[in-house]
Amino acid sequence: MIRMPRVVVWAALLLGWEVFARLTADGFVIAAPTEIAQYVWRNTGLLWRATGVTGWVALQGFVWGNLAGVMLALAAVLIPRAERGLLTLALLAFCLPLVATGPILRVLYGPGQGPQVTLAALSVVYTTFLSVLVGLRAVPQSWLDLARSYGRGPVTLLALVRLPAALPYLVAGLQIAAPAAFLGAMVGEFTGAERGLGVLTVRALRGLDLPATWAVALLAAALSMAAFAGIGALGRRLSLAPPEILLAAPDDARGRAGASIQGIAAVAVALAVWQGAMDAFDLPRFFARRPGDVWDYLVTAPEAGAHRANLLAALGETLTVALPGYGAGLLLGAGLAALLTLAPPLAALVLPVSVALRSIPIIATAPLIVWALGRGAAGSITVVAVMIFFPTLVACLHGLARAPRPLMDLFDSYDAGPLRRLWGVQLPAMLPAFFASARMAVPAAILAVTTAEWLATGRGIGALMATVASTSDYAMLWSAIAVIGLAALATHAGVAALERAVLRRTSPEQLAG
Amino acid sequence: MTPTTPIRREALTPTRREALVLGAAALLTPRLARAATPATLQLSWLHSVQFAGSYIAQSRGYWGDAGLDVTLLPGGPNAPVEPPVVAGTALVGISAADYTAAAVNQGAPFRIIGVAMQKNPFAIASLAANPVADPRDLIGRRIGMALANMPVLEALCALNDVDIAGIEVVPTQYDAAPLVQGQVDCLLCWATDLPVAMRMQGIDSTVMLLADHGYAVHSQTYIATQDSLANRRADLVALMKGEIRGWGDYHAGPEAAANLTVQMFPDAGLDLETQKLQAERQVPLMFSDLTDAQGFGWFTDDTVAANIETLALLGKPVSADLWDRSILEEVYGAG
Repeated sequence: MIRMPRVVVWAALLLGWEVFARLTADGFVIAAPTEIAQYVWRNTGLLWRATGVTGWVALQGFVWGNLAGVMLALAAVLIPRAERGLLTLALLAFCLPLVATGPILRVLYGPGQGPQVTLAALSVVYTTFLSVLVGLRAVPQSWLDLARSYGRGPVTLLALVRLPAALPYLVAGLQIAAPAAFLGAMVGEFTGAERGLGVLTVRALRGLDLPATWAVALLAAALSMAAFAGIGALGRRLSLAPPEILLAAPDDARGRAGASIQGIAAVAVALAVWQGAMDAFDLPRFFARRPGDVWDYLVTAPEAGAHRANLLAALGETLTVALPGYGAGLLLGAGLAALLTLAPPLAALVLPVSVALRSIPIIATAPLIVWALGRGAAGSITVVAVMIFFPTLVACLHGLARAPRPLMDLFDSYDAGPLRRLWGVQLPAMLPAFFASARMAVPAAILAVTTAEWLATGRGIGALMATVASTSDYAMLWSAIAVIGLAALATHAGVAALERAVLRRTSPEQLAG
Repeated sequence: MTPTTPIRREALTPTRREALVLGAAALLTPRLARAATPATLQLSWLHSVQFAGSYIAQSRGYWGDAGLDVTLLPGGPNAPVEPPVVAGTALVGISAADYTAAAVNQGAPFRIIGVAMQKNPFAIASLAANPVADPRDLIGRRIGMALANMPVLEALCALNDVDIAGIEVVPTQYDAAPLVQGQVDCLLCWATDLPVAMRMQGIDSTVMLLADHGYAVHSQTYIATQDSLANRRADLVALMKGEIRGWGDYHAGPEAAANLTVQMFPDAGLDLETQKLQAERQVPLMFSDLTDAQGFGWFTDDTVAANIETLALLGKPVSADLWDRSILEEVYGAG
């Protein structure tokens, strides 16, 4: 193979982009690099100020959201009984759609950036919580036994054993969180903001201003990539070595019955939080419906049957798109991670594109996907896959890097090839991270599919929520939210069951409370 | 239009000398001296010339004159107007009769106290080469729209005896790209936004205003709760007084209003030429013989009756009680 200088490759790519954009100019789909450069040149001040506003909001949300995620993970390890409840609450909070949270946050905060910061924080809590939780568990049983034999309590265990073990996972969590916080900050501006990159995106899309749309999207992507790379570099600075070989006896103490009781308790807690929070802030029933209102609407009201039929039909349409997209995204993420392990140079291409796709709002990317793939199922499935493959990729890469060194050395000493090593050592080591990301991806898939339905297909629960929000039908909106939450919990429980079955054989330490 | 200059509006508009004196007074008097009452006006979209009358009222101190300190809250894709007004976060919201009717049917205690857009801005935009100039032209065409707006299309068809089964509805996001890319033949949109965007990109479009085909729905309406109407009357009167003066100035110079908008919101990403065109195109929607005779924001029993008819077609039955003209009457009565 002829090695071309990087500059030549980049120049060729840019030229190809320019030509393609010029050829498809009538379609108003792709902006040419020269047009984007012109826009940036003419609007440097505007872009600079907007970036400052959105970046600051994203940073605040990033800090608060990650703090909350880490605290939740610590609480879950210290109080194992609370884990399922915490997990349920974090999952449900992550599933709350913007059509419902937007108005509530705006009413709570009034003018200003409160809602944007909150939405940026909400978009990272759950993923960080899961990543850190896996990390806190990624400790060899022997270390824990050793510490316990010295009579150390759970707090010492946490500080001396679990926290250091969790650091690499925290880094992965923060890397996933960076683009998510940025996206959360941008989307947060949709709840009524005066300035910021989200405002500019809406303006550019409506104004058919392609160079502006692309400039803002590229800016958001570049900043997210920088944050992603920066956090990764910090992680390497801390020289987080792969763990020693993990050996532990499977812990099957918690039975199925215990788990389902905990699950029911968690849902009860979620309902109490729902009711309590709305009452505490004295939110008007008009737009902040309580659990009882939803029950009336779906069960006891005279037209409850029709309401249910409407809602379930929409849910069915949504699931037929969400599930294939979810599967495709997970496979794509894990597959790419494996591919990058076999051919590391590809990372320079794959990672930036992945980060970019994750940090640009779907409302900006969806038109492109629709243009390329149409308004049918293929487009929506792709939107879902695009939104979830990135966290899976990052988590799996970190998981692969955690492959125990002695085992790797062992395979090397037998002269096993890279494929054999991938299959025998690295993939099993990746499984905990893969399952964590499969759980992470549940709410992300829901968010993606509902957005695609709202913008492109006009079907399913996403379109239903958009319609009822515009007619102040908040009883149906909150019923849809409740049903989405239940669907997310059910999917999550299904993934968790599969995870237990697989990890019992490959990584028993993850199952220990 | 000029011969029947409304006497009442003139009474509200200060002469240039008065304005200078007022301006100087505003500069010299400390703000707190008058202890203006705070009030929030919830707009229905991001800042743009769509709300320029309010910006004029704010920048020229028309609300300050009336003892009110108004905060303008921008809207957005996920910022419905109704919740902050119900919650009391905003004293007044900019809504539209169909949205307000839906909210009232869901239990919101709203009244419409003024109407900024006498003619509804909803339109069907098509490319000039493949025009939809009459509702009958919709037959056999693909229309791009949010499915949430199905009732609008149904009402238009009912009003014009068009069989809706003959129209192919394509759910699209709200921008002109699907039309320009040929995914659809026409779009259901506002006459003042997507067609303006296409014009600025050099694309000629045919714009068929639904209001010209029997679709009578007041838009950009001022809504307040019955509680505010009972307990914050003076503030409502002061707010509408400022709005009416601001929009009076706007009518006199839409271009200046566009300039002011771009100046006041340098971070909103507004393009001056686009804003000027939009400012010009919304004038015929907001000002009519009725407003020339009675003043900005006015509505009559007849226009209300026409609205009730169209709203019934939209599946949003309301009674005339939804409209409350007492605030406007107080503003214009007091001169």
